[in-house]
Amino acid sequence: MRKYREIAVTYLKAQLVWRADVIFNMIFTIGKIIFARILWGAIFEGKEMVAGFTYHGMMSYYIISSFLSQIEMSGGISREISDRIRNGTFSRYMVIPVKIDRYFLAMEAGVVAFYMVFDLFAAGIWIFLFRIQFVFTGELLMIVGAFMMILLGLVFMVQLNYYLGLLTLKFQEIGTFLMIKDNLAAFVTGSMIPLVLLPAEIVAVMRVFPFYYVTYLPAMLLTGRCREEMAAGLLVLSGWCILMELINRRTYEAYRLKFDGVGI
Amino acid sequence: MALCRNAKPASVVYLLYLIVRLRSTAVIRRLRKHKMRKGNEMGIIETKGLTKIYRRYQKQEGIVGSIKGLFHREYEEKAAVKEMDLCVEEGEFIGLIGPNGAGKTTLVKMLTGIIAPSSGMVNVMGYYPNKLENAFKKQYAIVMGQKSQLFFELTTGDTLNLFKEIYEIPHREYQQNKNYFVELFQVKDLMNVQVRTLSLGERMKMELIAALLHNPKVLFLDEPTIGLDAVASRQMREFLKEVNREKNTTIVLTSHYMEDIKMLCRRSVVVNHGCKIYDGDTEALFEKYQKNKRISVTFPRKVTLDLQSIGGIVLEEEGFKKVIGVPRESSSQAVAYIMKFSPMDITIEEEEIGKVVERIYEQEEAAYA
Repeated sequence: MRKYREIAVTYLKAQLVWRADVIFNMIFTIGKIIFARILWGAIFEGKEMVAGFTYHGMMSYYIISSFLSQIEMSGGISREISDRIRNGTFSRYMVIPVKIDRYFLAMEAGVVAFYMVFDLFAAGIWIFLFRIQFVFTGELLMIVGAFMMILLGLVFMVQLNYYLGLLTLKFQEIGTFLMIKDNLAAFVTGSMIPLVLLPAEIVAVMRVFPFYYVTYLPAMLLTGRCREEMAAGLLVLSGWCILMELINRRTYEAYRLKFDGVGI
Repeated sequence: MALCRNAKPASVVYLLYLIVRLRSTAVIRRLRKHKMRKGNEMGIIETKGLTKIYRRYQKQEGIVGSIKGLFHREYEEKAAVKEMDLCVEEGEFIGLIGPNGAGKTTLVKMLTGIIAPSSGMVNVMGYYPNKLENAFKKQYAIVMGQKSQLFFELTTGDTLNLFKEIYEIPHREYQQNKNYFVELFQVKDLMNVQVRTLSLGERMKMELIAALLHNPKVLFLDEPTIGLDAVASRQMREFLKEVNREKNTTIVLTSHYMEDIKMLCRRSVVVNHGCKIYDGDTEALFEKYQKNKRISVTFPRKVTLDLQSIGGIVLEEEGFKKVIGVPRESSSQAVAYIMKFSPMDITIEEEEIGKVVERIYEQEEAAYA
């Protein structure tokens, strides 16, 4: 376990070197909140409620969900794996005594820890400046459930991106897979619009898939909604994590043996 | 016990089967290690008939060929390593040489488990490398001149800390090794410097420290002096010699540079087209097959050289600079002759590996004919 903790710490240290990254990331967080204020301000013009949300409830949801989608940065994992396989430097991870999937999980933890602190700071300042009456649940069980869901969601996204990266061993080019995943995730995670605005049948289908629980449901739980979906959500997401773990193990073992490139 | 009583008979049988399987694997490994310790019955590295075949897509030229490739593809098979038999004893410093595409790196990749062999037997320290067991990975290290294990944004100290945890090195051993290598490589002042700001020579020293920190039994070096200047290359060779002597580390060195091989390896294995074409004493190899030397010389003015009497020829000429090829036995005569023209700069190099390989081939063909 210590080795993975040290990997996380090393990547956290590596992030801290880039000062410009910190500043730009904070600017993006701020930019998103300003955009949301303008957009939802216009939508709520002369209305008290939209789809069961008050203006402040909607802003709170938006701030939480955009914060969650911003700390979900595992897309870099598939690109890192893909680039390294194609450039013949993936062996860097194969020759050291670690489990590669866990290495990437630890790496992601280090990176997320870095962005979480600065994004939280930026979000806090703007909540205060825009005088948003932040809606946050006071129920401990919901807070714990939401945080467990956030953690599982991040783990799942790492697993998914690790899997997509490994596909390079078979397909050599994974750009199309990544594009599909990115477009799907942007919509289905609810970071663009609350999924509650969509028809009930579509939402019902989404509940079977993990993306629903990565950003949307935790954000809803933290704003005091959808309590009844929490237990089922945790179960479904855990199931997906276990399934991805099995798929990843099998994919790595099978594809690394079949890989026919000279460099790896 | 409660668990056993409640378990179904089939799962108990399966459990027993797993225990027996695990035990037998462990026993086999212990036997192999015992064999290795006992009487050099097995080398620390051993291969028999080791072969790696790659499948390559043969794309036809042009847009029509590209479209055809969408529907039907033809593949060709290329043997990167063919029926390789190799045995390396503990503590040996062996040179793996051959021209580009000869199969050296593929062989090293199979020995480290990075790629799986197509057929044949491979055994490194009692392990089948491609199983990629952590216990195996803790006992070897690989340094590739063009690939880095260091974190460029951080200091070498940070990477070493990470490797301490990854290889689970006890703190005392870590400190001892770190101090030993920092002293040996004289890099104390560079430990807290960002890796990206280091020169290539300095970075290679750091790569070696990171690789050697966990006391590997076997060290694979793939072109460790590539891109280094003469001073840095010489230093690197000295360090490697010292590590081999002091730590008894088995070293497999892949290099294009004849100097590396000559200075470091008592034994050389020459590989070409995936086959081993020479395995034996390095000195004998060069004595027998390296016939010529290359002398690069820059004169202060235009000169005409008469090299016929010593059997030399001008290979390249550009301005006042000439590259001359001379037989080894005449090299001192040639230098004495050149010095008469008061050259501004002179470098004497060994003949490149391609020529040596060519001669080994020619001799083999003549023997068969």
